[in-house]
Amino acid sequence: MPDRQFNPFQTIDINVPVEFHESFQRYCRRGAGSALDRSPFPRMIDLWFLALCVAVRLNLEPVERSDVKTWKMIDGTIFSSDPWRIHALMLIAVGCTQDVSVVAEPRRVMTLANGLAIAGLPRVLEMLQDGGGEPIWNLSEAIDGLLDGASVTGDS
Amino acid sequence: MKLTRAHFENFRLLRDLTLDFGCDESHPLTVIRAANESGKTTVLHALQWALYGDAALPGRGQEFRLHPIDWDTDDGSRVTITATVDFELTTHRRIGGRYRETRRRYRLVRTAVEDATRQFRRGPSSVKLFHLTEAGASPIEAPDSLIREELPPELREVFFTDGDRALSFIEADVTLSTKRDRVERAIRSLLGLGLIDDALRHVAKTKAEMNKKARGLDGSGRLSVVASRLDLAAQEEDRLRERLEDAKEQFRNVEDLVASTDRKIAAALQKGDREKLSRERASVKDDMASLDKQLAAAAREHSQLLTRSSLAFDLVSPTLSTAMDSLDDLREEGKIPNTTVPVLEDRLETNLCICGEDLDAADPQGRRRRSHIESLIRESRRADAIQELITDLYYGAKQLFPKGTERLASWRANYAQVARRRDDLEGLREKAGRQYRSLEDQIKLIPDTNLQGLRQSLAQYRGQRDRLLSTQATTETQLDGLRKERDSLERERDQLLRSKEKGARVLAGLDVAKDVETVLKGAYDRITDEELTKVSGLMNDIFLEMIGADPEQGAIIRRAEISKQFDIVVYGPQSRMLNPDRDLNGASRRALTLAFILALTRVSEVVAPNVIDTPLGMTSGFVKRSILRTAVRESTQLILFLTHDEIAGCEDILDETAGVVFTLTNPAHYPRMLINDPGVEERKVLRCECDHRTSCALCERRLDLFEESDQRTKETANA
Repeated sequence: MPDRQFNPFQTIDINVPVEFHESFQRYCRRGAGSALDRSPFPRMIDLWFLALCVAVRLNLEPVERSDVKTWKMIDGTIFSSDPWRIHALMLIAVGCTQDVSVVAEPRRVMTLANGLAIAGLPRVLEMLQDGGGEPIWNLSEAIDGLLDGASVTGDS
Repeated sequence: MKLTRAHFENFRLLRDLTLDFGCDESHPLTVIRAANESGKTTVLHALQWALYGDAALPGRGQEFRLHPIDWDTDDGSRVTITATVDFELTTHRRIGGRYRETRRRYRLVRTAVEDATRQFRRGPSSVKLFHLTEAGASPIEAPDSLIREELPPELREVFFTDGDRALSFIEADVTLSTKRDRVERAIRSLLGLGLIDDALRHVAKTKAEMNKKARGLDGSGRLSVVASRLDLAAQEEDRLRERLEDAKEQFRNVEDLVASTDRKIAAALQKGDREKLSRERASVKDDMASLDKQLAAAAREHSQLLTRSSLAFDLVSPTLSTAMDSLDDLREEGKIPNTTVPVLEDRLETNLCICGEDLDAADPQGRRRRSHIESLIRESRRADAIQELITDLYYGAKQLFPKGTERLASWRANYAQVARRRDDLEGLREKAGRQYRSLEDQIKLIPDTNLQGLRQSLAQYRGQRDRLLSTQATTETQLDGLRKERDSLERERDQLLRSKEKGARVLAGLDVAKDVETVLKGAYDRITDEELTKVSGLMNDIFLEMIGADPEQGAIIRRAEISKQFDIVVYGPQSRMLNPDRDLNGASRRALTLAFILALTRVSEVVAPNVIDTPLGMTSGFVKRSILRTAVRESTQLILFLTHDEIAGCEDILDETAGVVFTLTNPAHYPRMLINDPGVEERKVLRCECDHRTSCALCERRLDLFEESDQRTKETANA
């Protein structure tokens, strides 16, 4: 894949409810050694994207909360450094809407993705916190279980 | 002489310490309970320094610091060291056919001043002796002579014995000649043969004077030449004898140094080689640093796993499959419109549709048709943009999320790998940490011994010993040659004297001197021989009694004796000679030397203390009890430094025989060995009145190091 791929989301902001701000800061700070185990995500976009994937996995409905105060986490230029995520976002949108033409509407794709990420965030935060170990181990084990299909179900 | 009290100030660990000694004949034993490193050896040194001065210190005191090592120079850099020893002498005078016993009390005070800067310097010590009476203390002149008389310096090792030195009469570390010399000197000193020595010196002087007279009889003739040569030979002989004695004395001292350094090295190595352990610790530390780096890298990799496309793919694969299927369907069905825009645009330009109808905008029908084609162009353009996006997405997704075997390992497989590596590394890191802590503990337990320095010293001492041995051998050869020359000259001189008129008188004088010399030497040898037999017999009795309780040693040891050559020898069944170092166990070796010391003191009838450090080390059970009982019975004043282990099992004997018991404690043993914090910052030995059965807040000790280690583990766990 070329490094500089066309990024249809580069002008779109990613806004997240303020209530998650602290959690993003807590789990996304870079560190070494044990600090890395407590704050496992290199960047905020990594947590956001994982929340989106978890929501898709669990068939959660996108959350649209126009009534809550949001905070701009980052804008879409971030995807230029991870081009595979541009395709993933589009494919998720196609899969969820069953409409191929959605790929021509980046704002719609992003609205859907952000809604799913916000739906998935409480689940990911739960995974980070639940368990006897450091957040990175709690989360990894939860994901492992999720992929194994044994622990978390997607009906809620 | 009996010691009654001692007080030390600023003598190494003894910053301010008073010791009392029992003098009661029915309870002749004084027990000073002290664990290892609680100042026992220091007390022995301090007592000997008080009595004999610097010559009694290790290395004759040359490199031996006396002031406390942690002396705070803010208190002044000049430190006054004082040792005070009170003792009593009992004399018996015959008055009117009856013996009257008189006891006199004395106080000996020795002081020295040391400069406590880095290179310590000590001036000569001064000593004063006082006679203590009800009226007060009156000074006594020449205190050294009284001490020499009551406690001859040659017998220092008999009166003041530490556990290791007790073996000096039989140990394998020193040469046979040194052992013999020690036994001979000890026996001859105790038997008071100094008088005969003085008489022999006097005879030698008389012979020299007679020779001088013989020289005067003959002017410059042959007799004068021979007599002069004899004078010179006598002078040379005196010089060589002095040199030989000096070399022997130095040899003995160096041998002691070799033996004690060897023991220090062995003891240090037994506890562990600090340098080797330090190297191991450094190596483990490097391993730990390397493992920490690997652990950090594995943690980073773990963190990166959460950002991988494989995780996204695995999580959303059902949805992705649907999307990919849709794209595949579109592609297969060809539902995405072909490129028609340029054709339609061309038609609009020519105002003629591909079906032949007019597309003129002025015509209403043409305008309608034209509007339809323009709508078709717009739709086609939009469909092309979507197609472009979908085509890009289709191929990009195929690359990103390949199906089947083309797919790279799943996230779960990656995670399992990283988790296993992190676990393995954590295990290795914990193991290395435990190893590091264990090495730290081992190093802490090893006294801060400079093994390298000790080995260098040992090599130097050995070199020095070899040189002294060579000096001895050369001097002895020279003396031998000189004796032969002297005998020949004496024969010639005597012949020449016989030919001279006045020579007969001088010759007669020389004959008398020779006869007296022969008699004196005979008496010397006879007394030595008789007393040697007595010491030997008593030593044998004491020794066999001491080891009688040990069936194993009892089975192989038949008797012990001191040979005519002053060797202490032990015999087994059928009079086979045993090697004390190889064939006797530690307890028997100790018993043998203690038996010799006690027998020597008893036969000499000298009333003197036996101060013995750790006499019961390496002994146990009945043998230990037997040694203790016999030693108490055979000594007029027995002062023992005993560790807690030595006391164990002998408490009832101490109840019965000990007049004075107290305990010395080194506060530096807290918290490792002492239970309570003594609250003392200086390094100093403290005394409490606890006896062999009691303990107090100061001297209460942990049973062993494991208890302390367990306690530390519990504290860590609680924390």
